[in-house]
Amino acid sequence: MTGDGLLVVETDRFHGPLDLLLHLIRTQDIDIFDIPIARITRQFLEAVEVLAETSVDEAGEFLEMAAMLVRIKARMLLPAPEGEEDHDPRAELVRRLLEYEMIREVAARLRAAENDRGRRFEKGYVQPRPRSRTARVPLEVTWEDLLAAAMRVEAPADRDIEHRVATRRVAMREKVGLIVNAVRRARRIEFASLVAPWGERMHGVMTFLAGLELGRRRVVALRQREHFSPLWFYRGRNLDDRSAGSVLGVALGSGEGMAGGGTDGRGAETGAAGAGEGAA
Amino acid sequence: MNDARIVEAVLFASDAPLSPGEIARADESLDEDRVEAALAALKAEYDDAGNAFELREVADGVQLMTRPEFAPYLERFDTVPRSSRLSGPALEALAIVAYRQPISRIEIEYIRGVNSTGVIRTLLERELIAGVGRGEGVGRPVLYGTTSRFMEHFGFPDMEHLPRPEELPVILRERAPVEAGPEPPDEAEEDAPPALDEEEALAAVMAHADRRPEASG
Repeated sequence: MTGDGLLVVETDRFHGPLDLLLHLIRTQDIDIFDIPIARITRQFLEAVEVLAETSVDEAGEFLEMAAMLVRIKARMLLPAPEGEEDHDPRAELVRRLLEYEMIREVAARLRAAENDRGRRFEKGYVQPRPRSRTARVPLEVTWEDLLAAAMRVEAPADRDIEHRVATRRVAMREKVGLIVNAVRRARRIEFASLVAPWGERMHGVMTFLAGLELGRRRVVALRQREHFSPLWFYRGRNLDDRSAGSVLGVALGSGEGMAGGGTDGRGAETGAAGAGEGAA
Repeated sequence: MNDARIVEAVLFASDAPLSPGEIARADESLDEDRVEAALAALKAEYDDAGNAFELREVADGVQLMTRPEFAPYLERFDTVPRSSRLSGPALEALAIVAYRQPISRIEIEYIRGVNSTGVIRTLLERELIAGVGRGEGVGRPVLYGTTSRFMEHFGFPDMEHLPRPEELPVILRERAPVEAGPEPPDEAEEDAPPALDEEEALAAVMAHADRRPEASG
C-alpha cells in the first residue's frame, strides 16, 4: 500500500467496522499487536465518511467503533490508573480483531464446504418429468381418425345424459350393528376382519363409513399405527351410553350427520358411491 | 442375506442420511457394529468399482450421493430446488454459532461488531440454528445452537469434523459461558477526556460526533 491518504476503501464490501478495521491493518502490513491508533483512526473515518453519506443507519456502527478508537488513543496518552500500569488499552480491540479474523476464516471454510456439498447429489435430486412433456409424444393418428373424433364432438345429442342413482345395496345400519357387536364381543377388531366375509367393495365402503360415524360419536375408537397399516376398532367411551345409542339409531336411520359425507341422507349416499368409485 | 446387501438396499431406498442404529432396524440379525462393518465394506466396494455414487457420512448418518465430478451432468436436469447459498454475513454469524454454541444474539453481535438480528432470523427460518436454551442475566436471552440441518447443508459428518480452529492462523480464545451481554469495555468509561487537540483523529471524530444518530452511552 502507498501513503495513507491514497487508501481507497469501498465500504459496501465490508460486513462491519471490525471487517473494515482488519482490512486497513492487514493491507498495510501493520503489526496487529502494535496498532498505530491515530493513523488507523483517520483512515477509518475517511472510509466511513463515504458510508455516512449513503446510509446513516449503518454508519452508526462504524462511528461507534471510531469513538472507541479515539477513546483508546486517549487512554494511551493518559497515565494509566493505579494497578493497570501494564494494561494496554488496545488489548481488548486486538483480541476482538483476532477473534473476528478467525471467524472470517471459518466462514470462508464453511463457504468452501457449502460449495462442495452443492456438487454432490442425493436421491431425489433429479425430478420426475413435468407432466407437460408427455405432449411431445408423436401424434399417431390419421386425419380420418381426427375427423371422426371431431364429428363425435359435434353430435353430443346421442349421449346418454340420464342421471343414474344407484340404490344402496348395503345398509349402513347393518354395518353399525356389526361393528358395535364385534367390539362388544372382542374388545377390538381389525377392519379387514369386518369386511372379510363379503369381499365386495361396497361392503368395505359402508363398513368404513359406519366406522367413521361411530368413531365420531366415540362409540368406538379407531386406531392405525401409520399409513396403510391395519386399522383397528376399539371400544369407545360411549359404547354403552344409552343416550348415544338412541341418538345413533335415529340419526343413522335418517342418514344424518355422516362423517365426511353430506348433510342429509342423499348426500351421504352420494358420498358413499363416490368413495366406492374412487376405490374401484 | 449378506449384511452389506441389506444395508445397501436400505441406503438405496432412503433420501435422507440414516444412522447405523436406524439401518440396524432392517433386520433382527443386525446391530450397530455389524452395520458399521457393512458400511465400511460398501464404501470400499463403491470406491474400487468406481461407481458414480459413494457413501458419504453426513449429519451423524450415512447417505448415498453422487461424486462431485458428475455435477455438470446432473445440473442439466430439472431438479428439486436446493437450498440456496448463504450470504456472507449469514455465514459469519453461523460460524460464530457453530464454534461458540450455545450463544446469545448479543454475543454474536459483539463478535461481529454489527447488528445481527436479520441474519439470525434468516438462519432460524432456514433451520440451520435453533434456540437451545436461555442464558443467565437480564432478560434471560435465548441461546442459539446449530441443528442437524446445519450439518446436512455443509455436508459435515458430525460436529467433531467442522473445520478446526487449531488449523487456523489465529486461535479462538475460550471465553466465559454466556452471562449478561458483554459491554464493550471502553465504552462504559464515561470520564474519558473529551478533547486532545494534538490528535487529528480526534478532531475528525468530533466533527462526526455531531452527526451521530444517537448519543454515546
